[in-house]
Amino acid sequence: MNETAEVLRDFLLAFADDEHLMGQQHTEWIGVTPFLEEDLAFSSIGQDELGHAVLLYEIVCELDGVAPTDAAIDALAYSRGAEAYRSSAFTEYGTTDWAEALIRHWVYDMVEDYRWQLVSESTHPALASAAVRAQREEVYHRRHAAALMDSLIATPARPELERGLVVVLTLLPSLFAPVAGEDLLLAEGVISRSLATTAPDVITHIAEMFGEAELGQVPADGRTIRSPHFGPLMVRMREVLDLDTEAVW
Amino acid sequence: MATYEVFLKKDGRDEYRHAGALDAANDELAMVMAREAYIRRAEGSRVWVVNREHVLEGGDDFISPNADKPHRHHDGAEVAARRKRTREAGES
Repeated sequence: MNETAEVLRDFLLAFADDEHLMGQQHTEWIGVTPFLEEDLAFSSIGQDELGHAVLLYEIVCELDGVAPTDAAIDALAYSRGAEAYRSSAFTEYGTTDWAEALIRHWVYDMVEDYRWQLVSESTHPALASAAVRAQREEVYHRRHAAALMDSLIATPARPELERGLVVVLTLLPSLFAPVAGEDLLLAEGVISRSLATTAPDVITHIAEMFGEAELGQVPADGRTIRSPHFGPLMVRMREVLDLDTEAVW
Repeated sequence: MATYEVFLKKDGRDEYRHAGALDAANDELAMVMAREAYIRRAEGSRVWVVNREHVLEGGDDFISPNADKPHRHHDGAEVAARRKRTREAGES
């Protein structure tokens, strides 16, 4: 694998791992969201994010020269060591607080939209075609999040949302963190710009809703360091798998 | 919160049919929630979402007088049955 392919692999894993973990976090709300209609909508959105992760893991399989079978994708999704993941603290963070979960959904889908735009005209054809499919679904995700935010922001729920925003803003810089060597992907047209350059626009959108918002320093670790939430999340995700690691699915 | 009635239309010449209801805080949330509550498997290709307060409702008292007008049934079967009963009553 040449150097660009290695960076692309890291970039794809970062995107796929975030989609995978975000989908997992959303689907953990099945049965416990505040009302039934939201339960259906939120878990559907989680399923969509898991679907996006699969699209991206499939491209990783191509790079690895492995057939993108269910087993190969499961291996990428569930069976790497923590050091091989490229997820962000933003998606690793586990919460049972609905205000935090809702704000995170609103912000994540705002950033995700920019993230797909970076690759919608990628010189890597599979990535560009994944973007087309994902962006069709993202229209609904953003409309859902905006509808909830618009209906709650001027109600007594606002302090709850503001409390959730404080937590989510603390995590947000990690979502913009690039993988090492991202300049190579820019030079070859695999991505049109760095996700970090969209951060000011995202912060402006958040400030329009809440009056003010600030972004901390974007980490420069190339997404090689996992947050303390990653371990417990992985235990929850692998709970059934670990009951019988030899089982055939 | 308001209750909304959801109607779905499939492709082609099918009419809109009632799919169910849901509660929502406003029109936009009703539409957003209807999509995943009733069309998550693309059960229809178009949707009407109607605030129940905007539905004009007529009750049983309003309608029941029309339950005894067999002459309005276009197949004639009920009229024929009544004529037959009248005829047989006259013959006996």
